[in-house]
Amino acid sequence: MSVSNMLENWSKFRHMHPVDDKPHEEYKWAMAIDLDACSGCNACSVACYAENNLPVVGKQKFDAGQQMHWMRIERYWDDDGREFPDQGAQFMPMLCQQCEAAPCETVCPVGATNHTADGLNSQVYNRCIGSRYCSANCPFKVRYFNWYDYPTTDNVWPAEMTQQLNPDVTVRGKGVMEKCTFCVQRLERAKNNARTEGRLVHDGEVQTACQQACPTSAITFGNLVEPESKVAKKWAHQQVELAAKDVQAKDEQEGGSDLRGYRIFEELRAYPSVMYLERVRESAI
Amino acid sequence: MSQHHILALFNNFNEAEAAVSELRSSTIKGFNFDDLTMKSPIEHPEVESVLGERSANVQWFTLFGALFGGITAFALIAGSQGNFFSQLKGGKPIIPIPPDLVLTYEMFILGGVYITVLGFLVCAGLPARRSKLYSAKVSEDQIGLLVKVDQAAVVTIKSIFTKHQALEIQEEAGK
Amino acid sequence: MEKDIRESIEWAKINGDVLKSLESPRPLFWVILVIALSMFGVGLGCEIYQYQIGMGVANLNNPQVWGLYIATFIFWIGMSHSGTLLSAILHLMHADWRKPIYRFAEAMTTFSLMTAGLFVMVHLGRLWQFYYAIPYPSERWVWPNFQSPLLWDAMAIFTYLSSSVIFLFIGMIPDLAICRDHLHPGWRKSLYTVLSLGWEGTDRQWRNFRMTYLTVACFLIPLAVSVHSIVASDFAMSQQPGWHVTSFPPYFVAGALYSGCAAIITLFVILRYVFKFEEYMTLPILKKIVRLTFAIAMVWTYLNAVEFASVWYSHDEASKAVLIQKATGIYAPFWWMMNFCGSVVPFVMMIKRLQTNIPVMFAVSLLLNLGMWLERWMIVSPTFSHGYYPYLWDNNQWPTLVQWGIVFGSFGWFTLLFMGFCKLFPSVSMYEVKEMVYHRSLALKHTERNLAVNATELAEKGAH
Repeated sequence: MSVSNMLENWSKFRHMHPVDDKPHEEYKWAMAIDLDACSGCNACSVACYAENNLPVVGKQKFDAGQQMHWMRIERYWDDDGREFPDQGAQFMPMLCQQCEAAPCETVCPVGATNHTADGLNSQVYNRCIGSRYCSANCPFKVRYFNWYDYPTTDNVWPAEMTQQLNPDVTVRGKGVMEKCTFCVQRLERAKNNARTEGRLVHDGEVQTACQQACPTSAITFGNLVEPESKVAKKWAHQQVELAAKDVQAKDEQEGGSDLRGYRIFEELRAYPSVMYLERVRESAI
Repeated sequence: MSQHHILALFNNFNEAEAAVSELRSSTIKGFNFDDLTMKSPIEHPEVESVLGERSANVQWFTLFGALFGGITAFALIAGSQGNFFSQLKGGKPIIPIPPDLVLTYEMFILGGVYITVLGFLVCAGLPARRSKLYSAKVSEDQIGLLVKVDQAAVVTIKSIFTKHQALEIQEEAGK
Repeated sequence: MEKDIRESIEWAKINGDVLKSLESPRPLFWVILVIALSMFGVGLGCEIYQYQIGMGVANLNNPQVWGLYIATFIFWIGMSHSGTLLSAILHLMHADWRKPIYRFAEAMTTFSLMTAGLFVMVHLGRLWQFYYAIPYPSERWVWPNFQSPLLWDAMAIFTYLSSSVIFLFIGMIPDLAICRDHLHPGWRKSLYTVLSLGWEGTDRQWRNFRMTYLTVACFLIPLAVSVHSIVASDFAMSQQPGWHVTSFPPYFVAGALYSGCAAIITLFVILRYVFKFEEYMTLPILKKIVRLTFAIAMVWTYLNAVEFASVWYSHDEASKAVLIQKATGIYAPFWWMMNFCGSVVPFVMMIKRLQTNIPVMFAVSLLLNLGMWLERWMIVSPTFSHGYYPYLWDNNQWPTLVQWGIVFGSFGWFTLLFMGFCKLFPSVSMYEVKEMVYHRSLALKHTERNLAVNATELAEKGAH
């Protein structure tokens, strides 16, 4: 049955995505993060912990590098010898970039990570056998492995804190890889509701936890396929294309571009779904 | 007519080959050259010239096995990638050729090796039933010639063996 | 010049000498067996602890997700290339000096692969579900991901392991027949009777045997090359800095042959001494193996240098940074030791006097393998310690005792398997040594006859 299926759909199966294809039909979830608006408050990170049942590993394990924050705030300082160094701090919220050509997807030996129809990089906990090749191959290192069995470890969710866990999301045991899912549980619920009503999800109807918690509205999230959505307009305005070559057309012009929008490691051709808006540096003023 | 088995042991290949050539060139009633088996502690390809052409078909098994292994592997892999799940991975086509070819190559070799070995067992007739006459000296340093002859030819055969300095002649009555 | 083997050895003596090695072991054997068993026990204990608590006890973290397990896995796969080299490649080259030594080398191949298989299990976070990687038709219609180099590893190593075991067994059938015929009755005789499949050395059996051996050897060579190239693809197919190097497949294969040859020297010295195989594992043969190892060492050195040069002259800033890190960062002592053991120590093997000096060659072979183990570790950890951008820099991580314990235990496991093999099966191929002696004595007679004829001719000429 599979062989006949394969032969029938041969040309479809030989198509390269996303380079040859129109990326997605109804939904392509994407994000835009304005680094100028980001104040490094970490509310997005905390909201993610709450929404996705992330274990708080404790100081010792955090120092050992075994942290589980799907959304992390990276801090950088300009080394310009100023009087108050903290003043020059810049913050980069780093999360799974949901790459269209994700390096992690090809290398999982059991196929626990795949590309969904709505443009997400999925992680299937049940299938994962913990080879950690996906994390080894991720250029951003945004994949987090369960080094211990957190549900049975003390002080991760002490007594009544278990009431806070999100019932829509599993709690992962040891040996499983996890990462940001663009709050797929929220997306699924929104899509279900919309489908019941015979429509598509409206722009702004669904928010990721990090987007919802951000006090400065630095995170924009939505459906890139819908041209009127905020995120699509941002991407279009910044002239950032989802499946460009290894450099965006606007950056190939003479003298570069004044537009703030960029993606990280464009040259690796992973085609991330997260666009960052460059911070307007103080030193530029 | 009853069949007798005779085993003669020789000290080296030259004597054994001489005996075999004589047996081959002579026509003895009750003895068929194909009923001669040479047993030796090591292989001796030069023996082919005196024993005459005898077939070895192992390489047909190899050809079949390798092709079978490769084609089955590609069909299995591409079929599994192209089943109704058909999941996208990493910006590659759903049925990518390079990884499929790597595995096809491996399974080509796997099929080749397994079926060759099977072919060896079939062509060499292993596991074999032990022959009626056998000497442990054959696995040490002597060469044995085992013939199956009719009663009438026994004496002639034995004299040929003795002429070529057979170290020992064992005889056993047939069924 | 000394001969590889004395042409006048009687075949019966060959049988006798090798079969003597299968007799009841001396007390030292049991001592070493107990030591190997306890080493394995240490490894087993560490693995049980890790299984219960989680991979975190190995001090792995994000981004240092792979540690000694992958490095040692590749080390053991590499060591397994020795048997193929000796059995298959030298067979095709009609180098008959391989005949006394290829049996234990092939055994080493099989057991190295079995040891490497252990590490595949140990390294997984959920090893009880390793069977997801096996392509079997499941009710869920889910198959493994055939695009993944790790899965290619699984398929390739399965192929290589089963082919090696088959090759070892098939090659042993004539010897098992010898054991069946010449050993005293008991459970061992029944074992050999069953395993030798009724082999009697008939011309039909030898004819097919010869063809099979040649054919499987022809298959094993591309298999060995492809297996280690696939293992190299685990790294080469990713785009991490320091890994995305096209020369990795040949580099790894060269490293594997290097490792295997060094291990052959180690085991050669041990078996020669323990079983008193001085007539068969002769010093001229040791010399040849030593010289072969040196040649492979130079190939490895060249490919190593090519990797450095191609990174240095590229515009790939991330890879350059990793290379500088390897040479000057926190892993630098190990990196320099790897280069010393891999590229400098082999030159000892070029000193003619030392080529047959057993203690020196033994020590050198151990150092070479240490260098090769370090090489694998230095491929894994430094890349993780210096990623693409500043957040991923300075991620230095050291393995805990759990990791060291499991690595240590793997050597015990290998020793156990190898010692068991040497006492149950002939570690020198008796029929092949007989062939070697036979053909060399024929060649010697031919030369002597020619010399005699020439001498007669000269005498006749002189007479005129």
